[in-house]
Amino acid sequence: MARGGKVAIVLCLDVGFTMDSSPPDEESSLEQAKKIMTKFVQRQVFAESRDEVAVVLFGTDGTKNDLASGDQYQNITVHRSLMLPDFDLLEDIQDVIKPGSEQADFLDAIIVCMDLLQKETIGKKYEKRHIELFTDLSSPVSDDQLRIIIDNLKKTGISLQFFLPFPVDVDDAGGGTSASGHSQMHRNSFPRKGLTEQQKKGVDVVRKVMYTLDEVGGLEEIYSFRESLERLSMFKKIERRPMAWPCQLTIGSNLSIRILAYKSVTEEKLKKMWTVVDAKTLRKDDVQKETVYCLNDDDETEVQKDDTIQGFRYGSDIVPFSKEDEEQMKYKTEGKCFSVLGFSRSSQIQRHYYMGNQVLKVFAAKDDENAAVAFSALVHALDELDVVAIVRYAYDRRCNPQVGVAFPYIKDAYECLIYVQLPYMEDLRPYIFSSLKNNKKCIPTADQLSAVDSLIDSMNLIYEDGDGGTFKDLFKPSKIPNPHFQRLYQCLQHKAFHPNEPLPPIEQHLLEMLEMPHVVKERCQAPLEKVKALFPLKEVSKKKEEKTAQDIFKDNTEDGFNPKKPKIEDDEGVFSIIKLAEGSVTSVGSVNPAEDFRILVRRENADFRDVSQQLINRIDQFLENKGSQYYMKGINCIRAFREEAIKLSKVQCFNDFLQALKSKVEDKGLADFWEIMVQDRISLITKDEAGGSSVTSEEAEKFLAPKEKKNETLPPTDEGGDVDDLLDMM
Amino acid sequence: MSEWVSYYRSEGPEEDEEGEQQEEGPEAVASYSFSGRDSLIFLVDASKAMFECEGDDVTPFDMTIQCIRNVYTSKIISSDRDLLSVVFYGTEKNKNSADFKHIYVLQELDNPGAKRVLELDKYRGDEGRVLFSKTFGHNADYSLGEALWACSNLFSDVRVKLSHKRIMLFTNEDDPHANDSAKARLARTRAGDLRDTGIILDLMHLKKPGGFDISLFYRDIINIAEDEDLGIQPQESEKLEHLMRKVRAKETKKRTLVRLNLYLNKDLSLSVGVYSLAHKAYKPYPVKLYRETNEPVKTKTRMFNGKTGSLLLPSDTKRAQTYGNRQIVLEKEETEELKRFDSLGLFLIGFKPLSMLKQHHHIRPSQFIYPEESIISGSTTLFNALLIKCLEKEVMALCRYTPRRNVPPRFVALVPQEEEVDEQKVQIAPPGFHVIFLPYADDKRNIDFTEKVPADPEQVDKMKEIIKKLRFKYRTDSFENPVLQQHFRNLEALALDMMEPEQAEDLTMPKAEEMNRRLGNLVEEFKQLVYPPDYNPDGKAAKRKQAADGQAEKRPKVEISKDELRRHVQTGTLGKLTVPVLKDACRLYGLRGGGKKQELMDALTEYFSEH
Repeated sequence: MARGGKVAIVLCLDVGFTMDSSPPDEESSLEQAKKIMTKFVQRQVFAESRDEVAVVLFGTDGTKNDLASGDQYQNITVHRSLMLPDFDLLEDIQDVIKPGSEQADFLDAIIVCMDLLQKETIGKKYEKRHIELFTDLSSPVSDDQLRIIIDNLKKTGISLQFFLPFPVDVDDAGGGTSASGHSQMHRNSFPRKGLTEQQKKGVDVVRKVMYTLDEVGGLEEIYSFRESLERLSMFKKIERRPMAWPCQLTIGSNLSIRILAYKSVTEEKLKKMWTVVDAKTLRKDDVQKETVYCLNDDDETEVQKDDTIQGFRYGSDIVPFSKEDEEQMKYKTEGKCFSVLGFSRSSQIQRHYYMGNQVLKVFAAKDDENAAVAFSALVHALDELDVVAIVRYAYDRRCNPQVGVAFPYIKDAYECLIYVQLPYMEDLRPYIFSSLKNNKKCIPTADQLSAVDSLIDSMNLIYEDGDGGTFKDLFKPSKIPNPHFQRLYQCLQHKAFHPNEPLPPIEQHLLEMLEMPHVVKERCQAPLEKVKALFPLKEVSKKKEEKTAQDIFKDNTEDGFNPKKPKIEDDEGVFSIIKLAEGSVTSVGSVNPAEDFRILVRRENADFRDVSQQLINRIDQFLENKGSQYYMKGINCIRAFREEAIKLSKVQCFNDFLQALKSKVEDKGLADFWEIMVQDRISLITKDEAGGSSVTSEEAEKFLAPKEKKNETLPPTDEGGDVDDLLDMM
Repeated sequence: MSEWVSYYRSEGPEEDEEGEQQEEGPEAVASYSFSGRDSLIFLVDASKAMFECEGDDVTPFDMTIQCIRNVYTSKIISSDRDLLSVVFYGTEKNKNSADFKHIYVLQELDNPGAKRVLELDKYRGDEGRVLFSKTFGHNADYSLGEALWACSNLFSDVRVKLSHKRIMLFTNEDDPHANDSAKARLARTRAGDLRDTGIILDLMHLKKPGGFDISLFYRDIINIAEDEDLGIQPQESEKLEHLMRKVRAKETKKRTLVRLNLYLNKDLSLSVGVYSLAHKAYKPYPVKLYRETNEPVKTKTRMFNGKTGSLLLPSDTKRAQTYGNRQIVLEKEETEELKRFDSLGLFLIGFKPLSMLKQHHHIRPSQFIYPEESIISGSTTLFNALLIKCLEKEVMALCRYTPRRNVPPRFVALVPQEEEVDEQKVQIAPPGFHVIFLPYADDKRNIDFTEKVPADPEQVDKMKEIIKKLRFKYRTDSFENPVLQQHFRNLEALALDMMEPEQAEDLTMPKAEEMNRRLGNLVEEFKQLVYPPDYNPDGKAAKRKQAADGQAEKRPKVEISKDELRRHVQTGTLGKLTVPVLKDACRLYGLRGGGKKQELMDALTEYFSEH
């Protein structure tokens, strides 16, 4: 997404001694400010932004800046010149930047920042220049140069944002909405203790600056620390613009309007991928992947890639269809288009029809008044008739065409069409669901309904603002930055500085940000209790089946497994409920396959067949490697499989596996492995051990006997095959 | 440019790795390859009445065959593992494993394929009717009970495990055994047997002169799936469109993506099933075949150490990202762990008026939830109460949603939907909540909007006239995906050795002629109102386009010196260079870099670390 020019940013931080003081149980203003800066720099570093960042500190013990002379511009330090942010900067913010014992005028600091931006950007191209000032406004300030500063900021186009430890109530300054209204309602955690005279004066100066810079939006660029930690507000200011897509909107073949479209909403994803590296050398080059193709016969005969061709399934048929033919015969798009197919009433397009992963905003082409008028006529006509356009949209020649809806969107500042993809017939799954209103069993009583009614009222996230008319929203997901990014950056930074430590816990503020607002939480307690009392809800226990399996289970001394006194010494005793609840295991890994398997099969919704297939794959992997330590791992897996199969009454699953395994012993040269099996007496599960089995103990005994007479090979158990098939063949 | 293209790349089946990781949405979890196959038998009445009709209408039989054919072709596209079968009853000839009279199994339970479609085509239209009488004949002396028996034999003869068994019975005779109570009783008994073995029997009743009366006979025969009970009986289908809608709704087994809890707070929850009612259908992945025999080959991928050649298990590897010159290494498990915030579930945050849902806040296709009794019993009643009240108060529920473990949460709006049936009493909107995914702040982009130049009322009114001429009723199933359709027609042609594939009609193309005809002079009038006489909206852009093309051809080579490159590699600032520059550099040194920036950078870094 790195489009357009880069941005030059100065982070200007007050480190004067007042910044270090804080009420007990609270972080100092300096710590809070550093946190925000860290978040900001993290994003810049990990998103590999090309923006350059400088750091200016004021209130430092020493002085280091170009303007310093005599008693002018003292205690202001240019900590870092304008350059790409990197790990050193992160480290600096974390460890090097310490509170000073002096104070300095923040207006002087701004002048130093402006001077730095002027000098260090000469000869280079920057799309924007920007200063972010973090201060508690406690140091003396002289506003005699204010006019000059403001004029200079305006002239040079340098933008400015303030970050303060307290929210600034902007209402009494006239104009603008309360920038901090949200955080007050939402958390109310920052104590609005009385400001000092000095701070009040500082606030006045800040207001003056921001209001003069931008009468409309200026005051909204003053943030409290708390708020910006949650909202990461500074990013909006330096965000870049998405690419424009020029095209013509056509209605029939004779009417076209020149347009520009932009992606306006789309899921922002991480740009950087994880690469696989060797665990020992940590080098990527040491890991190589090899793909082989083999026939589906008993020997798995390998074939060369060049001897393979491409084909497609057409129902039961597989049709060879070369890439070239496919390319030649496939559907072709002529080129980009945005063509109206017709118009529909807007009520015919329902929200849940929306497909695709993006929303486009469509405008008239730039600097073309004729196009703008024609486009405006269309937008307003659609709006007034309450209809939408159904459009064929193709991004370019290589892309598949879409059918979508374009509906009018009219704002004070602009008007546009919004385009969203709609489904094709093939995408729909018109399932039928049982009626809820015609089912007497689930009709709620009047009491139940009224309990739900008051629950909904108590959990209302919208409230009317004092003077009426305007509504406030307590919880706007679209204002919350994606927590995944912040978590990733936090972990990356941590691992960069502490490679051998485990991941840090998730930051509390991140979790709080995702929670129900406090007000609502308290308000809904009573109604929730009522709902709980009125609706009989019961967890359906799945334990039943397990119990019966336990009852049937009989002690199997050969395996040394006894359910009545679980063995503590091996892995089994350790795994337990904690891991089950933690949910850390998602598939049967290669490190502790047996343990993973035990955890997975006990999960709710676990599919024994699937999980055991994963285990079998591991076992196959081990056996392919040949070697006693792998064999032992394999044996442990098979043991675990056997035990769980008995407990969970999945006897057939295990027995089939073992049959298949035995059949492979010869082809794969696994005789030595089989010997261990015989020694350890791991055989088929007999009907004495579990009810589901039809194998007698003699048969089980015979099964382990050296193989000589039975020469028939069993079909390999790939997922296509079925257990029943296998049985039939035996 | 890069953004747009990257989006489209990740749309097709040739998704890159990143795409797969991201796209491996809830769907992947619900992969049901291990749970057995779905099977569906079309049991078709072939007695004379099915071939009769008033006037020029299509016969009920024709409609049925047409409908079955549509199911076949759509199954080939959407779920070719499902097994289908066609059985006629009321024929003169018979063919079935138990040698019942007047029952003819045309196609055993098997995957749908091109040949089967062709076979069905033979019996369509007037010629088809003649051929049918000649091949199979008609005889009204059938027993429906035996027909059902034959069907259940078909199910049990299949060698693979079946997860879902369904029979669709097409007939226009509402009382087949009016004069033979023994046969009627047998049919009821057989129907009962089917019910006991979990086979679903749907009645697709067709038009009968005088109306089709279910209560006469079929009420005791049909066996509705427990989870599809509408509490009412649909009406008979007169038109293919109606029949198709009924059949389509039932032809695929409904499956949950996931079952999870909806938490009202931490100790009060109900359980729901999550469904996807619209899911992008992709062109299927190609399979690799052995050139000599055209048999499919298996693909095995192994990781090994390039230096020692020893096999690497996943545990022998870690995951890394490099920023500047610093490599950050995590265990594979850690890369999963850092995505974990919540356990899986929907966590209620609160309620908002439906009007607060922004129309343009869309990032993914929606999902659908419906109560699930298998985890928490009593869920349905609470769900129903929530649904009723949300509909009544016109509010939506805001939730935090974690569909799987190790997936970061997303906020969703639960939008209530009331159950709706159409005039044929077929459900067109199921009761439940749509799950609408909401964007985070990062997902919204600031846009440089074009300054508006408002149109005057006269211009707007002219446009309104244009719009009124081009109105139509949008339906979600109006448009077929031309890319998929063409692909499958190509395959069909190859499979059946046809000379030329049938050209799919591209419904996404504007019907320009028809539009121009309808609009008449309106377009000219509108243009006169908004465009000056010398203005040409196409010309300008066309010229620009040409310029752009020319530019692309002789794009100035962006040269960068070797020293400069080396410096970038050493300081880790390669990322500052643009993709074309990196590409050129790679070409210069003969490196294979792939198309992605990271790959190009890696290739160059590697090159300079060795040279």
